[in-house]
Amino acid sequence: MSVKTCLVVDDSRMIRRVASRILKDLKFETKEAENGQDAIERCRLEMPDAILLDWNMPVMDGLDFLKELRKEPSGRKPVVVFCTAERDVLKITEALDAGADEYVMKPFDSDIIESKFFQAGLI
Amino acid sequence: MRGALSLNPTYYEALKRLTLELAGVTLGSDHAFLVETRLSSLSRKEGFETLDEMIEELFNTGQSRLAVKVVSSLLERDTHFYTDRTSFDKVENIILPALYPIHKGGKIRIVSFGCSSGQEVYCLAMALDKAKDKFPNITIEIIGVDYPSSALDRAKAGRYTHFEAQRGLPIRDLITYFDRQAEDWVVKDHIRDSVRFEETHLLSNLDSLGQFDIVVFRNALPHYSSPAQVRVLRGLSTLIKPLGYLLLGTGETLNHINYGYDTLARDPNVFRKREEKVQIIEDPNIKKPSNRKTFEKTKRRLKDMGDMHQTKSA
Repeated sequence: MSVKTCLVVDDSRMIRRVASRILKDLKFETKEAENGQDAIERCRLEMPDAILLDWNMPVMDGLDFLKELRKEPSGRKPVVVFCTAERDVLKITEALDAGADEYVMKPFDSDIIESKFFQAGLI
Repeated sequence: MRGALSLNPTYYEALKRLTLELAGVTLGSDHAFLVETRLSSLSRKEGFETLDEMIEELFNTGQSRLAVKVVSSLLERDTHFYTDRTSFDKVENIILPALYPIHKGGKIRIVSFGCSSGQEVYCLAMALDKAKDKFPNITIEIIGVDYPSSALDRAKAGRYTHFEAQRGLPIRDLITYFDRQAEDWVVKDHIRDSVRFEETHLLSNLDSLGQFDIVVFRNALPHYSSPAQVRVLRGLSTLIKPLGYLLLGTGETLNHINYGYDTLARDPNVFRKREEKVQIIEDPNIKKPSNRKTFEKTKRRLKDMGDMHQTKSA
């Protein structure tokens, strides 16, 4: 069975590192992007199986990225798990309506990431 | 590698014996490192200066109230929402469709034993709320039962931390069935009102709870000693109505004892009570449960342990 890939999108280098380490423990191969624009370009080159996505980022935020991603003609639809400090129910609903599969509220730990990836059918 | 246990080994052995006697549960080596963290917190809440002071008070005076708090604290389980989701699917897709024609227009009673901080109970309530259109004209009563403990208090409040709420709970369930209050998430009233919680010891007399159509007892049985497992399973079997169901955790069995159930071939951890009354073969070495006797016996035992410890210290 091939190793699943996950793109970690966050403008914080520290968050990308922590999330990547958790995902590697869950047997994912990880790549990183620091904003939505960087992420969409990476997806056009190679679509990952999953994307762990921050909301508030410079250049292109997570929500705009997700809307762009869902318009992509590629046949592969990666599972998108938002991972953000936004906790407002209206914001969460907006993310789900835009096509997010799951939603993690920061701060997170490895149990939460594992649980959310399990619910999203990635584990 | 974990550090060595600094708790007096005599105290640890005494706590192991107390837990076995009071709850029928054998503390394993994995509990040793939980003892200090959990009991230190309890000792502060109970107003003791140190953990040793609380344990000395427990063994010298044999207070039943303190003994129950200590044992409850030691056995508190770290539960998540939707631990083993297949169990909830079995209730919705196998058990309720079988019971619904029998109880349509009436009530189905469900009990979750060892409910700890309540996640399993609320998961049942949420799952049944989502399935309510499939089972119209029926009232479903859900009761969570466990030792009196701080976990059970949290269950009654239906309030979960940011971390607890995200472990196992899909985001759509979180925003549908919970309200955010400051940093916590609180179960919405209509779900909280559909459940209730009772403080009862599984090895005590359970008659006051009445009879149930579904008993859920998952992931706790292996922690009990072998004689206690028989007592627990026998007690549960008396609570289940004819044609009612017992749902154990994945891989858990009745250990080849006939308590009057049929096993569902495709689901080895789902058991249906037979319609006719079955005589359960009693083991003469296992006494029938009684709250009063259990606590009196424990008091005497605690006093003996205290005397023993004092003799050793002298």
